[in-house]
Amino acid sequence: MDSRVCKPCPGADPEVVAEISRLIVTNESVSKVLATILEEAVRACAAVRGFLAIVDHDRGELDVRYTAGEGWSEEKRLGRLKVSEETGRGITSHVAATAKAYNSPDVERDPYYIRSFEDVNSEIAVPLVDTNGRTRGVLNLESTERGWFTDEHERFASVLGNLGVIAMALADHRAREAALVQIGKELHGFTDARAILQKVLDVAAEALKFEDCSLFMIDRASGKLVLKASRGPLKKQIGHASYEIGEGLTGWTVQRKEPIRVTRPSDDPRWRGLYEELPSADVGAFMAVPIIGRSGAIGVLRVQRKKSPYKWFPNDFTDDDERILATIAGQLAVALDNVRLVDQLVKTERLAAWGEMSARSAHMIGNRVFAIKGDVNEIEYLLEAGVIDPADAHRLVDSIKNGIFLLEEILNEFREFVKATQLDLVEADVNELVRESVEEGFPKRSATVLKMNLAPDLPRINADPKKLKRCFGELMENAVNFQPEGGEIHVSTFIADARCKKWLKPSRQSGRYVAIRFEDTGPGIEAENKPKIFNPFFTSRAKGMGLGLSIVKGIVDAHDGTIYESGTPGKGARFTVLLPAASGRRRSSKKGEADPKAG
Amino acid sequence: MCRILVIDDEEAVRNAVKRRLERDGYGVDLAETQAAGIEAIESHKPPYDVVVTDMVMESPTSGLEVLQAALSTDIFTELIVLTAYGNVGNAVECMKRGAFDYVEKNIPGVDVFELLSIKVAQALDRRKASLSTLRRIEQYTMGR
Repeated sequence: MDSRVCKPCPGADPEVVAEISRLIVTNESVSKVLATILEEAVRACAAVRGFLAIVDHDRGELDVRYTAGEGWSEEKRLGRLKVSEETGRGITSHVAATAKAYNSPDVERDPYYIRSFEDVNSEIAVPLVDTNGRTRGVLNLESTERGWFTDEHERFASVLGNLGVIAMALADHRAREAALVQIGKELHGFTDARAILQKVLDVAAEALKFEDCSLFMIDRASGKLVLKASRGPLKKQIGHASYEIGEGLTGWTVQRKEPIRVTRPSDDPRWRGLYEELPSADVGAFMAVPIIGRSGAIGVLRVQRKKSPYKWFPNDFTDDDERILATIAGQLAVALDNVRLVDQLVKTERLAAWGEMSARSAHMIGNRVFAIKGDVNEIEYLLEAGVIDPADAHRLVDSIKNGIFLLEEILNEFREFVKATQLDLVEADVNELVRESVEEGFPKRSATVLKMNLAPDLPRINADPKKLKRCFGELMENAVNFQPEGGEIHVSTFIADARCKKWLKPSRQSGRYVAIRFEDTGPGIEAENKPKIFNPFFTSRAKGMGLGLSIVKGIVDAHDGTIYESGTPGKGARFTVLLPAASGRRRSSKKGEADPKAG
Repeated sequence: MCRILVIDDEEAVRNAVKRRLERDGYGVDLAETQAAGIEAIESHKPPYDVVVTDMVMESPTSGLEVLQAALSTDIFTELIVLTAYGNVGNAVECMKRGAFDYVEKNIPGVDVFELLSIKVAQALDRRKASLSTLRRIEQYTMGR
């Protein structure tokens, strides 16, 4: 048909088609292309006016987006929209429904026509149909003359309409490509599975228009598919809603490791309708793809679309939709595999620490008990010999007491190491916590100079005050203990700047963090020891098991923060703790204003 | 008087063992590291009769190093290995290579110091027997 297009149509100019094509290939915006198409159609066909209505896929409605020609007012545009909403008829709706062009030479006698302009006597409408056979919009031209529009007019309008569809499809592809690139970027660097899942859903829903999106993952403990992320009403059931493998359409997808696409899901024999984003009767289309990781199927990504209120409006998912969803699932699988590897690494490290810890503590406890037994053995011997000197007895009792004290100290450290990650969170004022810890940790009479520099108006943080005070107290104690007579300790708080934040994981660097810094003028940390100081059992003091800084790190980690040492060896140690600001906007530091759940 | 060397990195352990063995009438020297222990073994004249050493000090195989030093100084020096917690594997390895015995520091309900005292006495008996055998072999070969 293209070859015949331009000749017979009186106003059709080959240049018009060339110009519009040029707009499309030079990436001009869709609205500009469509507006130009409409104007050229009106001009070429000598129509009194025209409009281009675009199908809103989410609502299944026609939306008059572009108008050209005489007599348009805001009221008229809205009036048009209302008509299609109320009745689902009118020539435009009819063309959208049938996806076929329609020429009405005399609107007075037309069963579909609904009048909105007094002067109209004839009208043609051509649909904009995409490669999936779906109507994307309708181009409508009106004339005051009866029988004005010829077949040639209709053909030319169709050609322009096709160009419009091409522009829209290109824009869609670009948006999808951008969304996929964005998902790829977002996934890179995440080490927290929960954050990944929600992010993917957000991008899928917003950029790709998969409105109701949910993600189920196989839970290793129960072997069930458990809802891990969702948008909309199902959000409340995250962590609870679950399917057996093979149960319902969702379970089927995982069991077969195949994607599934159903137009009327509730008619499908596999359908269970257990957990739906929409009421079962409203689900118009259902699509799910398995997420296949290194170890096989690990979950399902699924989307649903509302049933259209219009019978003619197809809202089932297309091949394109399925390809996109499968691509996202693939990226997700890679990212999750990565997270699992990191998790495993962390777990292995923690396990190794535990193994070392139990071996070490058994060794230390064993030695202490052995020594205590020696003292007891000696007392028994002295008693049996009948020659017991009170001074000897006291010496032995003191030795036993000391042994027991050391045992208790070990137990205490052990307990704190274990409990470092179990938090009782409330919203708290960092400066208050620092002030209290410093007061408790800094000796009353000391030749050391203490400088405090606490920034006012710091955002509040979610903290376990007891644990954080323990953590700051330990850092204070370290600073004091490694300080020569007359040194200086500098404690400061401030908003973390970019230099501090580079110690955070890349995915976290955009957040707001409060920094707490302890600096001293002691010997500092040797460069070779810097990587080891937060390991359990690393100590340069004889006391305890050397768990101090590992407990500090455990507490900071549990607060989703980080700790680092950046002092200069020989000049002093500098420990900085970064803690995320509470998400609430409130900045008050007054007591009693905190969250009612707090405290 | 019999000379005994006690090597352990825990002061409380060294002192408790020394006190108990002195009660039995032995002369007891102390060393607090594997290196110091080996140096004492190599320099002491006459060689120590019995060496009591912790298994795990600078390294998990400290006991083995001490054993090697003791046997290369005097093949008849008896070695008793102390193990702080169930690290019996290395202690058994020591015995395979000629140590007299091992004593676990923590055995529930057992007075390990009495046990150690008995082991030391047995070790000394074995050393005496070995030495007298050696003397008789020497006399026998010289008499021929």
